[in-house]
Amino acid sequence: MAARRLRRAGLYAFLVGASVLMVVPFYWTLSTAFKESANVFASPPQLIPDPATLDNFEDVFTLLPFPRYFVNSVVVTGLIVLCNVVFGTMAAYAFAKLRFPGRDLIFAVLLLTLMVPFQVNLIPLYAIMVRLRDATGVIGADTYFGLVAPSAIQVFGIFLMRQFLRSIPNEILENARVDGAGEWRILRSIIFPLAAPGMATLAIFTFVGAWNDFLWPLIVTSSDEMRTLPVGLALLARRNTVNWGQTMAGTVLAAAPMIVVFLVLQRQFIEGLTAGSVKDVG
Amino acid sequence: MTLARLRRQSIGYALIAPAMLVAIVFLFVPMIVSAFWSFTEYNGVRPPTWVGLDNYATLLGNARFQRSFWNTVAFVVMGMGLGPPLGLASALLLNRALAFRGLFRVAFFLPVMTSLVVVATIWKMLYNEGGLINTVLTAFSLPGHGWLSDPGTALPAIVVASVWQGFGFETVVFLAALGGIPRDYYDAAKVDGAGRWAQLRHVTLPGLRPTILFVYIIGIIGSFQVFDQIFVMTQGGPVNATRTLVFHLYDKFNSLDLGEASAVAYFLFVVLASLSWIQFRFFGERE
Repeated sequence: MAARRLRRAGLYAFLVGASVLMVVPFYWTLSTAFKESANVFASPPQLIPDPATLDNFEDVFTLLPFPRYFVNSVVVTGLIVLCNVVFGTMAAYAFAKLRFPGRDLIFAVLLLTLMVPFQVNLIPLYAIMVRLRDATGVIGADTYFGLVAPSAIQVFGIFLMRQFLRSIPNEILENARVDGAGEWRILRSIIFPLAAPGMATLAIFTFVGAWNDFLWPLIVTSSDEMRTLPVGLALLARRNTVNWGQTMAGTVLAAAPMIVVFLVLQRQFIEGLTAGSVKDVG
Repeated sequence: MTLARLRRQSIGYALIAPAMLVAIVFLFVPMIVSAFWSFTEYNGVRPPTWVGLDNYATLLGNARFQRSFWNTVAFVVMGMGLGPPLGLASALLLNRALAFRGLFRVAFFLPVMTSLVVVATIWKMLYNEGGLINTVLTAFSLPGHGWLSDPGTALPAIVVASVWQGFGFETVVFLAALGGIPRDYYDAAKVDGAGRWAQLRHVTLPGLRPTILFVYIIGIIGSFQVFDQIFVMTQGGPVNATRTLVFHLYDKFNSLDLGEASAVAYFLFVVLASLSWIQFRFFGERE
């Protein structure tokens, strides 16, 4: 009994210790963001900024258009999520429930591209975007279109939704057809409602991926007004190797939106990000 | 009847059309174009000229490329040696009735939600000469260290930050999989007199086999593409100690060696494809 209780105490001590290791870097970031630059590396370290100052945030705002980065991230991520959920579900429905010549071949070819890392497409994609921009002036490199289009469809999302939609019984669809419903009607009033949990999963992992994406937004944007939060922060950190208070203020601004969303929707996020994976292998 | 079927077929094509349009223009075309460019000399301005396998030969003989390959391998090996076992261990610890279980899970998962750029920026500060890590070490009378400026410790330091960021994902994946192992198996094992370790070895680990495979495939593919942390923390330095394949590609792209950059990309592709194949072939279907 005593040994059992001791083991229990050890377990809790270990878990609390581990959780502290996970949270301290975030706390330290927050605390540093409010410190005067002289106190950032003060010894002994200041756990609570004394005096606390908002200067770092003011400096970051004058140095870089952070509100604009936020808007860009919201617009780009929102469009990517929307395209993936709508077009992905449409395509998944066709692959799962409709018969047409070439269906399985097209799907197999799509699945094969899952093996290809994004870096393979990176340079030609950039070249396409530059040419589009030269030709049209409004879409292509350094525009929302350029940021969104390559991520507008993820093959993995189609795959996931197809698995999900296959579990919908064919009888429901057949009955609707007998009742005279067209395929578009079936899609709108049967598939979309029934597929809602799957679409939520797709939306969540697309959201997290798009919000945190870095390499493509770094390459396809060139003007300050088009940067997303991660790119803006990386450029701030690179420009600013001495003033850690400022850099941490930028980090807080870049990290806060996602952390807030996560804390509000933690169960949905954790399940959404793991559900797709575990269901398929397990 | 046939008309209805024809109609339904055309609707199938219509439904996949938007997705296929994006896939063709932004996936298939770039894939083929970069395969072609990898056999050419191309700077983005003058038309590409065919050079056969020259780019690949140049790469394989190039010291910086070799360095970036082995750095990437080291990053993957260290990261995969630490991350999944850590995720499995935390999942095993959390897989029981516990007060604050949800809170622990959130703490472990929080960095997973945060972008790599944010995490890398935070750890760059922590690793600073006067940063928190050295301050704590000094408090225990241990010597501080320039973690990111010493070529010997820069890559392991980036691995630690990356594992810290990512193992919470593995934790929740393993937790979900643990929930799927039927209780009866454990009861049967107990009846047979199996202790904790025997249960772990003969029930838990075999039950997790597909999940372990999944975590390693996803993890290896992701780690081989490591870039964000490198860009933020070291820019490939000091003296190429943290230069990785994708950073090398980015470097070649910036210096407009587009042929060579494409060859790096295809090299990465071939490595990843063969690794996935090996994993599926040898570990995938033993059941």
